[in-house]
Amino acid sequence: MRIKSHPILGEVKPAKSLTFTFDGQQMLGLEGEPIAAALRAAGVMIHRYTKKRKDPRGLFCAIGRCTDCVMIVNGRPNVRTCVTPLEEGMIVKTQYGAGEASK
Amino acid sequence: MKRYDLIVVGAGPAGLSAASEAASLGLGVAVFDENAKPGGQLFKQIHKFFGSKEHKAKMRGTAIGAELLDEAQRLGVEVFLNSPVVGLYDNREVLVRQGDAVQHYKGDGVIVATGANENILAFEGWTLPGVMGAGAAQTMMNINRVMPGKNILMLGSGNVGLVVGFQLLQAGSKLAAVVDAAPYIGGYGVHAAKIARTGVPFFLSHTIVKAEGIDRVTGAVIAQVDEKWNVIPGTEKSFEVDTICVAVGLSSSVELLKMAGCEMKKDGLGVIPIIDDDGETSVWGVFAAGDVSGIEEASAAMIEGRLSGLAAAGKLGFVGPEALKNRKEELLSALEGLRDGMFAPKNRGKSQDSTSEGLPVSKCLLANGFLDDSETFSYPGVKSVPGLHPVIECTQNIPCNPCQDACPKGCIKVEGKIIALPVFDEKSKCSGCGLCVASCSGQAIFLVNEDLGDGKAAVTIPYELLPLPAKGAVGTALGRSGAPLCPAVVTEVKLIGAFDHTALMTFTVPSKFAMTARFWKNEVPA
Amino acid sequence: MTLERNRDFGDYVPAPDDDLVICRCEEVTKGEIRQAVRDGMFNVHEVRRLLRCGMGLCQGRTCAKLVKAIIARELNLPAPSLLDATARAPMRPVEMKVFANEKGL
Repeated sequence: MRIKSHPILGEVKPAKSLTFTFDGQQMLGLEGEPIAAALRAAGVMIHRYTKKRKDPRGLFCAIGRCTDCVMIVNGRPNVRTCVTPLEEGMIVKTQYGAGEASK
Repeated sequence: MKRYDLIVVGAGPAGLSAASEAASLGLGVAVFDENAKPGGQLFKQIHKFFGSKEHKAKMRGTAIGAELLDEAQRLGVEVFLNSPVVGLYDNREVLVRQGDAVQHYKGDGVIVATGANENILAFEGWTLPGVMGAGAAQTMMNINRVMPGKNILMLGSGNVGLVVGFQLLQAGSKLAAVVDAAPYIGGYGVHAAKIARTGVPFFLSHTIVKAEGIDRVTGAVIAQVDEKWNVIPGTEKSFEVDTICVAVGLSSSVELLKMAGCEMKKDGLGVIPIIDDDGETSVWGVFAAGDVSGIEEASAAMIEGRLSGLAAAGKLGFVGPEALKNRKEELLSALEGLRDGMFAPKNRGKSQDSTSEGLPVSKCLLANGFLDDSETFSYPGVKSVPGLHPVIECTQNIPCNPCQDACPKGCIKVEGKIIALPVFDEKSKCSGCGLCVASCSGQAIFLVNEDLGDGKAAVTIPYELLPLPAKGAVGTALGRSGAPLCPAVVTEVKLIGAFDHTALMTFTVPSKFAMTARFWKNEVPA
Repeated sequence: MTLERNRDFGDYVPAPDDDLVICRCEEVTKGEIRQAVRDGMFNVHEVRRLLRCGMGLCQGRTCAKLVKAIIARELNLPAPSLLDATARAPMRPVEMKVFANEKGL
């Protein structure tokens, strides 16, 4: 859920809407925000499933350190979604295991 | 190989301060930062800072960040973003990832200001989506403007847990509880008090047993621990939460310093570099400033940065011995002011039974997050006098004095060191301007008129939440513990530029609640 | 107290929380780390060479202290006395093709 007004930060500055897909589903995000923010705003919690235990993982450190939020972005696996800016038309996919690069 | 007089790693408070200090003395400075935006963690610090004027006290981290960036830009510092430093080699050779290549640079001096990582706890279910670092929650809500969750459990009662806990309330989330395995709250009492009075419970001597949920957090179970930190069976408590924030301390990000061969010393479970008072490590020309050299507040990091920037300038011949000495003394004295009081690094882990004034520290505050109503009058900021007057519920020695500077009438004195408890001078005349209330970074100052006539009293509180109630709104006055006391009518809500987003809300209550009502909730009592 | 490699630390005894994941990247459990200690890996450095905990994408940034604490407890030694893992480049995940593309030498 987005924070529309805030007692200290005030109103959110208007930003351009961007469309992207998450596992084939069309979604809207905002220009200038990382992929993970757009996903969290849309209610997506699971970014990947681990290799050995097939456990779900999501956002954990949000500053690019822990690498738990990695996904397959535009065919590239292991992209840290918390520090990678969203772009128009991005294809974002849940990563399974180490993530096979798709063609 | 491109050469700079000084290379700074990290564009946070320490790094930017170091860069500007050096650039102001004529050094050519490059700053490399891995992030897309500069400022490190400063731009998520939306609270007002503690300290004195020289430490930028009562300014919010966001504003301090903007000021630092302006300064660096004005002085011609080159800041390279999206440029993670991946190696620090002999003779201060710096390897930076830029685009599709790794680029070699050389610094005559190198200042490492890489900050810290969040510590974490492992417990059943801790890998579930919904468990995150407190810093992560802060990034989501204050930078990305997305709520990290609706219902949140905070693990850790240090300043990070308390500050982020309050910011979660500001973002519109519900804070279910603050939990800490220690028997006492680790952070500033004033930070705890502003959460407690909204009705959020503190569970000290409690630990998390598990996060519940199949593919995301849907709940949490906590339990009490004994003196040996073992869970006491039968004390489990469940919470329905969608998010669990972990704030169990920070570890210095020392990898580059270790790689460069700097001598290190033990610091808890980790290590920090051995440095002199300039921040220089055992390796010539390599400095460490800010959290990487030991965890402190951002205010200290900024001064450490300046000291290192200055020392690098001195070492490389950009500043004469006299100017160097004077500036260094000035900076060291500012740093000394901050490194004092109950929460100073030198006092960490020591028991704090009484203040430097010899007053007992409230056990209730330490164990529950709020002062017991019977204790407040033992502190020099709380006095009962006729007419309007400030009530300063500041009970621990924290380096901070903006309240004294804020009062145009001289009602408030912080005498001697800035860690002294503020004293309310009852002989002075309070004009009711409210500047002290807004200036208190701990939101611990209130204005009270105990007798308005008709058996009523007026209480003015700092209020940094939304929505702001309208004049005439009827709600409930809450006590320091967050317990409902009585109906309360809002008579004024004041928000002027000088208050910097801290609204001053005045409500009326029966006189007997004048010295106990400390929060207002938009709920009519049943 | 110092580490004596020849001391008898006793056999590995299963614990109820052995299945707890400690290294999030490589999914190494507490039980695996405890067993490794019994098998003679006495510090973070040695344990990670056997189990890969701390050698995943995050390079031990999350779990290093947790692993250290578990090893120390198993050896009944103060954690700070244990050797840390070595710090070496690259400090952040870098693809090999980028790491090999050196410029400005």
